[in-house]
Amino acid sequence: MEFLSPSALYGFLALPLLLLPYLIRRKPQRLVFSSLLLFAPQASGATARPWRRLRLPPIFFIQLLLLALLIFALGEPVFSVRVSNVAVVMDNSASMQALEQGTTRFALAQERARTLLADLGATGRVDIYVTVPRLTNVTKETLTPLEAASMLTSLEPFDLPDVSVDYGIVLKELAQDLNYERIYFLTDRPAHGQSGVLWILTLGQAQENLAITSFRVRRSSLTNSQLEALVSVTNFTSQDQKTKVLLRGRGALLATKELTLGGGQSDTVSFQGFAEHPYFEAEIDARDALALDNRRFAVPSHTRTLKILGISPRPEAVASLRRVAGVSIDVISPRDYGNVDRSGYGLEIFHLSAPPTLPGAPALLVLPPETNPFVELERPMSPVGVSHWRAGHPLTRYLNFALFRPRWARPFKPKFPGETLIESPEGGLVFAAERYGVRYLVLGFDPFPYLGKENLPISIFTLNFLDWFIGESGAEGNGTGEPISVRTSEPGAVMVTPKGEQQPLRPGSNSFANTFFQGIYQLSHGKAKELFAVNFYDTAESNLRERAPITLRDEDNTNNRISTLLFLWPYLLSLSLLLFVIEWFLIPRVMRSRQTVRFRKIEAV
Amino acid sequence: MLPEPFTPQFLTQLETLRLRTKKETLGSHPGSYSSPRRGTSLEFADYRRYSPGDDLRYLDWGIYARSDRLYIKVFREEVDLFAYIFIDASASMAFPSPGEKFQPASHIALALAYVVLANHDHVKLHFLQSGSSSVASPFYRGRRRMVDCVDFGAAAAPGGPLELGPSLGEHLKRLRRPGKAILISDFLMPAPSYQQGLNLLRAFNLDIAAIQVLSRAEVEPPFATGAFNLVDSESNAELRLQWDAAARQGYHVKLAQHNSEIRSFCHQSGIHYSLYVTDRDLSDFVFATLPAIGLFK
Repeated sequence: MEFLSPSALYGFLALPLLLLPYLIRRKPQRLVFSSLLLFAPQASGATARPWRRLRLPPIFFIQLLLLALLIFALGEPVFSVRVSNVAVVMDNSASMQALEQGTTRFALAQERARTLLADLGATGRVDIYVTVPRLTNVTKETLTPLEAASMLTSLEPFDLPDVSVDYGIVLKELAQDLNYERIYFLTDRPAHGQSGVLWILTLGQAQENLAITSFRVRRSSLTNSQLEALVSVTNFTSQDQKTKVLLRGRGALLATKELTLGGGQSDTVSFQGFAEHPYFEAEIDARDALALDNRRFAVPSHTRTLKILGISPRPEAVASLRRVAGVSIDVISPRDYGNVDRSGYGLEIFHLSAPPTLPGAPALLVLPPETNPFVELERPMSPVGVSHWRAGHPLTRYLNFALFRPRWARPFKPKFPGETLIESPEGGLVFAAERYGVRYLVLGFDPFPYLGKENLPISIFTLNFLDWFIGESGAEGNGTGEPISVRTSEPGAVMVTPKGEQQPLRPGSNSFANTFFQGIYQLSHGKAKELFAVNFYDTAESNLRERAPITLRDEDNTNNRISTLLFLWPYLLSLSLLLFVIEWFLIPRVMRSRQTVRFRKIEAV
Repeated sequence: MLPEPFTPQFLTQLETLRLRTKKETLGSHPGSYSSPRRGTSLEFADYRRYSPGDDLRYLDWGIYARSDRLYIKVFREEVDLFAYIFIDASASMAFPSPGEKFQPASHIALALAYVVLANHDHVKLHFLQSGSSSVASPFYRGRRRMVDCVDFGAAAAPGGPLELGPSLGEHLKRLRRPGKAILISDFLMPAPSYQQGLNLLRAFNLDIAAIQVLSRAEVEPPFATGAFNLVDSESNAELRLQWDAAARQGYHVKLAQHNSEIRSFCHQSGIHYSLYVTDRDLSDFVFATLPAIGLFK
């Protein structure tokens, strides 16, 4: 027998309270009788003690049994019919790495799963699923409980946030589709409701946690070689927390700062004036439940200069960017675009041209032709009037839009998810988008050639977008689970994961998807090496105090429901009701007999 | 206004009864009860020698014929009866309520008083209470005085403790003529106490009848099972009691034993004794039980 709500059994601890009314000595009833001559004096128990000698009437035992049955029923006891075809779903999201008295939640889940499997018997058939990166059956074929138990040992939690799916529905459909008689879902999320087939076994308690929610290392501007590190820390506790933020460069401690955070608050610490390293690591000195989110990694822009590949029918116009310090540019004609090695370029500028497909590198499209993947062009306009712009954006800072007047423009309408930053009455003039950490910018006017002080508004805008490309793009790294965009087509390229595994990239592939763990990923192609920072960024997963509950729905409407539980609480409640009727029958008899005492009661001594 | 049980039919039935006495009485008027004095009744008492002046009608001519001596037949004098009805008016008679015990006891007394009055005898009601609270009526004679008896009885209220012997002694001090004494009480007192009272009545040469009156609540106490404190209605003494089946059984045994002792004492002392439980019909008790114990002729 098992209990669906075992916490209700704590109610048994309150059962001794039932004794209290029987222990407390009530003021004795005083009755007048004609004469005491015929009454034998008895040994009086009257003392000054407030507790009388325990004398328990039969009604007490009925009440005790009644209460015990009710508490038992509240525990929702079930007789489980032995099932043979089960699925064990292991929540392997990042929060399962949280420690519960020295043991991770995932280890507790493994232990619990082994216990469940041991109860199945030798005839049971088991499939094992993990929840992240997606709900997947990790067993190639159905296992025996013994095989499944050993299979559990090989599983480990990923540094991935939980997938936002309704497990109440998904697992129910899984049970229906694959005829599972029971699905055990071992997770750290609480469950609401009940289900006969789906058993959610919640592991772990609410824990307090501090987490780094953002870590970026960037240059303050295109021309400034000094690096700046920003570390945002969030306090997922209800009390003020004091912690120390450490900045490391390639493992060596560079700087520390103290930080005090109020309950539920976030704050950002800034580090400046430190030497350049291939990668940086931020860490908070917190001994909390989840160590994963106490560290973050970042890779600064790998070059001090922005190397640009210009694709333009008018090379001299784009080549004028050479006047900008820190910028090196190679210009090719659009016809040669497919024939050159584009690796090593931090930005591709398509001037009066457009790539056939979405480029894998950051790209700027200046007055693209009709056949471009980003925008739908409108009619040209001249002169150009700016009707709206997005204030506070890095691309619009320092700009005086009263003076910002391109001579000619061709507005557009975006056909790609992004943000229109500057608009004219006819359509967008500047459109920014980001996909998989790669930034794209489309301009409806021509900022080239770069004239410096001779055309100050346009030059400021040019510097802004160069800063935007070099300073922001990729500074924060990828999130776990997000593919790393790689710009190599060389065969033999290998990605080294933080665990030291070497995973070759498929030829022609421009992304690496197995970013399941936080850390520094190193791409080796030939002698060149490129670092990528992958971090676990999920505030909901880091918040160990309030885990999102899983709602289970009643399965009565499910046609092919396989009931494996014999619910006992209706029987217990019926028995309790019967006892209540018996007690009700007994107590009124006592009360009636008391009412027949027709003689006077003395109100007070 | 007579109380409820005293319907015309009930009174008519009562008129058919007469108290029986075992002892001779000293009445003041001719009546139907024999007296130790010689008189003119039909009941032969003795012979004595003739002396001149005797009424020749009483000569026993048969003896003269056999012995040639003159003897005069002497007859008993028949006089009226003086009946004294003593009613216990202590607090215990008000249990569980006056209407359930004291009033039935009073009705018995009134019924007996009416029997006496209907026979043109004398009756006096005594309500026994402690000290100066005791009251006694004057002698009533004739059935018309029944209303006075009722009024006197209605004025009495039970209360206070009672020592039977001393209280009876106070009343007997003023008693001048022997007669019939009827004591109506619950007799819920120690044996020496009621024995002292009854012996006192015997000492005054009274023909005694004792009627014990108990309420149903005293025969079968309606206590709920459990513990409580029991308070004596007269002495206010308190007793811690655990009432259960065993205690109930013990009470019944003690009550039966107590009543048996009273009955035994009365039997040995030549006292008519009867027990009346107040939920019983009064006429049934008066016309069936009391004649059965020899209280009526």
